[in-house]
Amino acid sequence: MDFLRIRFIIDMKYYKYLIILLFISLYSCIGDDIVEDFVEPQLRFITALDTIGIGETIQLQVQFFNNVGSAEDTEVSWSSSNDNIAIISEDGLLWAREKGEVIISATINYEGEALRVEKVIVVDEETIEVPNERIGSLRSTSSYALKGDFVLTSTETGVNLAFSEDYETDDVLPGLYIYLTNNPSTVNDALVIGEVTTFKGVHNYQIDDVAINDYSHVLYFCKPFNVKVGDGVFE
Amino acid sequence: MKRILILISSFFIFSSVYSGGGWPQPKGKGYFKLSEWWVNADQHYTLGGLKDPNVTTGLYNTTFYGEYGFTNKFTGVINVPLLSRNVVNNLISGTTNEIITPGEAINSLGDAEITLKYGVFQHSAISISASIIFGIPLGENAGGLAGNLQTGDGEFNQIFRIDAGIPLGGNDAFSAYGNVYGGYNLRNQGFSDEIRYGAELGIGIFSQKLYVTGRYDVIKSRNNEKSGAIDGSFFANNSEVTSLTGEISYQITSKVGVSATYGTALDGKIIYAAPSYSFGVFLKV
Repeated sequence: MDFLRIRFIIDMKYYKYLIILLFISLYSCIGDDIVEDFVEPQLRFITALDTIGIGETIQLQVQFFNNVGSAEDTEVSWSSSNDNIAIISEDGLLWAREKGEVIISATINYEGEALRVEKVIVVDEETIEVPNERIGSLRSTSSYALKGDFVLTSTETGVNLAFSEDYETDDVLPGLYIYLTNNPSTVNDALVIGEVTTFKGVHNYQIDDVAINDYSHVLYFCKPFNVKVGDGVFE
Repeated sequence: MKRILILISSFFIFSSVYSGGGWPQPKGKGYFKLSEWWVNADQHYTLGGLKDPNVTTGLYNTTFYGEYGFTNKFTGVINVPLLSRNVVNNLISGTTNEIITPGEAINSLGDAEITLKYGVFQHSAISISASIIFGIPLGENAGGLAGNLQTGDGEFNQIFRIDAGIPLGGNDAFSAYGNVYGGYNLRNQGFSDEIRYGAELGIGIFSQKLYVTGRYDVIKSRNNEKSGAIDGSFFANNSEVTSLTGEISYQITSKVGVSATYGTALDGKIIYAAPSYSFGVFLKV
């Protein structure tokens, strides 16, 4: 049979099936993958304060994170366990009156229930901020390697996240990114630090416009696969 | 960051019986097929051969395959995805039902292959052929908003392959054959070369109206290139796989038939861990 005069001996009724087959690819829909991203709602003190000096005032701040770790503004009720030692206003302004220890409470209403956080504050000769660092250790939640200790410290412009010499991750994983987050299950509302370019040993990231208590976790995430590689919680 | 097109490797692994094995097409004879092939994967094999999850990713190819015997020894083969669709699912919060990361899809031609096959030795006991396969990058290698959807790898590769086919006997009602092959995939654009080999066993039953074929394929990377991925690309350099594919073909008439395949990776590295399927209509002339 001459190649140039090949005749397709096909019954006409097959044509419609061939046409359907030709375009069936277009009917493959974009589906949904469900991410189990629930986290316990949390009210957290943002202000880094340990001791306040007599007669001084300082604005205390708390932040509410909802059931997916997103920050939400909400009305806060403040109270002091001992007004003789320190008084706190409706807006969270703390006034230190005399030496001693006081428990400052912040309470919000969340879905009909009270959510409260407390902090022990000492009134003494002078104001002392809490140690401005948080530590943690990385752990892998996948088959890819991830380990190492880290320290988060306050800087003039933000925070510095430093990893120790025992840090190691898999360099074969493409598109590995590091984040700060309040929900270790997703990158939604997470702060992108950047693409991972150091896979072993000591290194650090300077992150501006971030306070030391803004986030609860370091998160490693593979962007192309959209899956979590591992995380580390700030203690 | 672009996404590994492990799927492309999967496509050429799990595609149907490849160009007749050791037997070239007789002069003036041809085999043509229009088929739909797809894989949908929510996990992949890591570099260490373990399985890890990933956002559900699918590749759907509507492919034309054709073989034609220009002479009794020389066969030309073309394999081209006329429509290739790469799909990535939405990521939905299980808590709020909101979209965390929207999914995407692209449609385009896919990477094609053109094969020149020569019957080196033809005998009743064994038939040996040599093929050179040219990979034509017709697909999209940087699609989607972030450039991470792909229907092709962007490189011109060449595969050199030797097939040896062995008839295993039969009669008017039944026939069987075996085929073994070995090949070398010469890649560029920073991708590692590959060694490929495999075996195939097929039987025809019910007066040879029904064919059942099983194929075992292995791809090993030479790991001779460290990059290979376009910067930020998720393209599967150094991927490896051992796969098993089954195919059933039924001849409706003496010239027209239908076929279906199921393929699975028995193990792998940097390749999607999910079965592939295809269904097609073929014509023999």
